[in-house]
Amino acid sequence: MKSLLACYRAVIKTKLAERMAYRTDFAISVLLMLLGDFMIPLVTLLVYRSGASFPGWTLQEALLIQAVFTLAKGVAFPFFFGIVSTTLYHVREGSFDVFLLKPRPILFLTMMNAFDLDDFGRLISGGVLFGLALSGVPAPSALHWIQFAVLFLCSLLVLFAFSLFLSGLLFKWVGSSRVYDMFDSMSMFGMYPGTIFSKVFQQLFTYVIPIAMIGFLPASALLGKGADGAWLSMGMSIVFCGAGLMFWHGMLRNYTSAGG
Amino acid sequence: MQSLRFVRAVAFATYKEWAAYRSHMAVSIFIGPVYFLVQYFIWHAVYASQDILNGFTLSEMLTYYGVMSVITYLTFDFADWNLQMLIRTGKYVTFILRPVSHVGFALAQKVGHRTLGFWMEFIPVFLIYLFIFKIKLLPPQPFWAVLSIILGFLMTFFVNYSIGLTAFWLTNAEGVRRVFLLMRDITAGVFVPLSFFPDGLQNVLFYLPFQFMQYVPVRVYIGSYELAGITMSIPQVVGLQAIAVLCMWGVCQLLVHLGARKFTGVGV
Repeated sequence: MKSLLACYRAVIKTKLAERMAYRTDFAISVLLMLLGDFMIPLVTLLVYRSGASFPGWTLQEALLIQAVFTLAKGVAFPFFFGIVSTTLYHVREGSFDVFLLKPRPILFLTMMNAFDLDDFGRLISGGVLFGLALSGVPAPSALHWIQFAVLFLCSLLVLFAFSLFLSGLLFKWVGSSRVYDMFDSMSMFGMYPGTIFSKVFQQLFTYVIPIAMIGFLPASALLGKGADGAWLSMGMSIVFCGAGLMFWHGMLRNYTSAGG
Repeated sequence: MQSLRFVRAVAFATYKEWAAYRSHMAVSIFIGPVYFLVQYFIWHAVYASQDILNGFTLSEMLTYYGVMSVITYLTFDFADWNLQMLIRTGKYVTFILRPVSHVGFALAQKVGHRTLGFWMEFIPVFLIYLFIFKIKLLPPQPFWAVLSIILGFLMTFFVNYSIGLTAFWLTNAEGVRRVFLLMRDITAGVFVPLSFFPDGLQNVLFYLPFQFMQYVPVRVYIGSYELAGITMSIPQVVGLQAIAVLCMWGVCQLLVHLGARKFTGVGV
């Protein structure tokens, strides 16, 4: 464990030094993350400003769902979601073999290599959005905070599972950056109140592919709205993550290298 | 005649090259409808309490997003990414030595890439929207719609190419490129129709080139145009779009000229 942490620390230091070679680009990238993450909330704001709304949800409540979603991505993207881009790049270039030769767990090495400083912009934007949205709703009780914390951890598990599925796909589907588009399109379901979707989709995204866990369910817990099936969905998130791990390792076993 | 042969040859080579990765493009058949499905639920919920929102009925709003989605498959472009990569790595130098302009080469590449996109992305997604979502996707004035899409195709290319040209001044233009792309998408009406923006901002958006990339083709396709309280007939707005494309072509040529003087072939 100690040696793993030492590896991680060394990689962070190197990545920081590497990124500081292009400081302006780094600053712009972080700023861009902030702007980019405000896009969906901006659309929500424009919709509410024109007098419309999501039935049963105030502007602040709707924004809170999107804030929690952004915050979860803000934690996931710098620390582990980058395994998708790492796999994409190294499998395509034929350099993934290097990970196989090193004396550490392969998934850990992939995650470590994927550490991305730029994505901390998402964490900042998530935090800002979360603070803004929270200031407009009644203060949650301690119990609601605990429920939120547990469900937020599950949202990270779901994102981790997604990163494993997408990354695993790239061992066979070499070089396809469209996996990001696939994730973006599917995860959109987690950015809005689950109640606006049909019953079939609500159940699909709560109990089968727990996308509702990324934003909707933790935000509902914080608002004291207690969405149906949150605890069952929590169990499903753990199963989903386990399936992701199995899938990733299964795909890794099928990796045949590109001969780079 | 020789230019036409050149465009055809480059477009065909690009088509063949990308056809090797056709599964990457075919994913749009999944992604497009999933995005649309989210919009479908959002707007159904929003319109539960009212019939008209900023001049759009529910049916018109879904048509807007449906048309926006399919038109994007025809005008999609990444000339900016390609160009900034060529400049950053120094590979642009090989184009300076060739007896053809890189602008023409990149445009021909886009023609080839989008020809493949036409039947791998546009047609399947169009049919899904038309027959499964029952979206009205047949334009009332087909001639003007096609003309406006062609102009939107050119406008998207010239704007993106100009963004890519910033790499002549910045060693790593990726951050700037992404800022531009984000602002471009917002001001082109990709996220939400421009008529949702505050009045003051709509007045600014009217004078920017970005509405001519997607917002105008979508509105022409639907059959009516309105922005910042200004209403125009379809031939008028397509005429204005043509003038804007010519101006953007001029800006692009000027930037190419200025950038070439800055180029040092770093990385070669």
